[in-house]
Amino acid sequence: MSDAALVFGRLFPRIARLSVAVSPSLIRWTLRLVTLLLFVAATAVGVNVGMNAPEIAPTSVVHDDRVASPDP
Amino acid sequence: MVVLVYLGAALAVLQGFVGSGLPIQFGASLVSHITGMAAGYGAATMLILMSRAPWLERDVGAHRLARWHAWAGPLVIMLTVVHAIAAVVAWAGATSSDFVGASMGVLNVPGLLTASVGTVILVLIGFSSVRALRRRISYERWHFLHLLTYLAVGLGFAHQLAGPDLAGRRWLQIAWALLYTYAFALVLRWRVFQPLFQLWRHRLRVEQVRQEAPNVMSVLMSGQHLDELRAEPGQFFRWRFLTRETWRSAYPFSLSAPPTRNLLRITIKARGAGTRRLFAIPRGTLVFAEGPYGALTRRRRRRPRVLLIAGGVGITPMRTLFEEIDLPGKDVTLVYRASKEQDLVLKRELDEIAERSGARVVYLVGPSSDAKNDMSAHALNRIVGDLSDHDVYLCGSPRLASRVRDSLMLGGFPRHQLHEERFSF
Repeated sequence: MSDAALVFGRLFPRIARLSVAVSPSLIRWTLRLVTLLLFVAATAVGVNVGMNAPEIAPTSVVHDDRVASPDP
Repeated sequence: MVVLVYLGAALAVLQGFVGSGLPIQFGASLVSHITGMAAGYGAATMLILMSRAPWLERDVGAHRLARWHAWAGPLVIMLTVVHAIAAVVAWAGATSSDFVGASMGVLNVPGLLTASVGTVILVLIGFSSVRALRRRISYERWHFLHLLTYLAVGLGFAHQLAGPDLAGRRWLQIAWALLYTYAFALVLRWRVFQPLFQLWRHRLRVEQVRQEAPNVMSVLMSGQHLDELRAEPGQFFRWRFLTRETWRSAYPFSLSAPPTRNLLRITIKARGAGTRRLFAIPRGTLVFAEGPYGALTRRRRRRPRVLLIAGGVGITPMRTLFEEIDLPGKDVTLVYRASKEQDLVLKRELDEIAERSGARVVYLVGPSSDAKNDMSAHALNRIVGDLSDHDVYLCGSPRLASRVRDSLMLGGFPRHQLHEERFSF
């Protein structure tokens, strides 16, 4: 196992103690919130990547003109 | 959902036609455009289907998802390879160069070197899944290779966005990017975050390892708040035991006893070096569990009677269903097939359940050539009476499962009354 995993394993009992006290409904709502945030982040990343994607395909010169051409 | 998937595929292919330019010219360029779009769409769809999202696992079922994966995976790899070859041929035609020269030219295009590396990884994964090769490599190695799919798909993403079918079409690029970010978000949520959360919340640890039969043992695990997992009889988890030797691989095993608030039990048969190592897991080992998965539950039942069919260690989900299915005992029959008497795992428990509930258990032991071990639809009908009045739950080796399934289908048994789970890889 990696060192990070072993360190996590040593710390685990301390972190795990927190899990006992939390109520199931708080856990459920936290998980829903995490899911929502994850998809908000995925939307932001997706839109950003799409907006900044290239406008001209590097291969389009060859495809359209049927001539050899170095990439732009 | 199937309609949506096909509609998306049709749109991707259509965009391949549009992207190749009008008027449409048939040739390598067109093939490259269409296969490229179809492969890109297929790769994202595969990620979503295998994301372990609960709505997919519950409503579609792990068995059907695995079947789709086994069918569509090779298709996506094939489309990717055809796309690459057709692109090089088109490039060679356009630049009047030979295949090798065109290949070098293509590799110099930004984003295409990484995409090519991704394609090579996909091809390797495809080879590792070919049946003849798959038998020769361990589950652990195959599993690791399969995880590289994420890397391969990621490496091809930049090329897809910059490809001639999407470049310059801003809304399509955004939609395509969202398809991939959502697919990866689903994977992150359900295959990474959920098991980590469950490790933290439930603190699952090995409590006891007990021998059940030669090469078969049960692992009893204790934890906190296990009722919150909402695991049902018949379901399975992917278990990763956190020891130095075993943490790398996740194994799918069904619960072999109804789950309780603080205990879970699985029963494992040693099939290779990896599963054999599990026999030596020390007490107290932390367990990283993905799940519960699988639709082989009592919720699938539609008919008034149930026939459970198990082969070998496939008895594990059937053992829990046999105890927990919500029917009077007289309407439940379990047929349990094994080669030898000592291979009948959990027999004592099955007999106890049968005695307590009034359900029937039929053991078919010995060579399959023996007429008394016949598992055809005709023979099953003889065992239970009116087979068409039953839901059939099936779990066994691929050979046994396909034999029973084929016979049932040939005998006109309704497909929707057959529920099965397979764990072969």
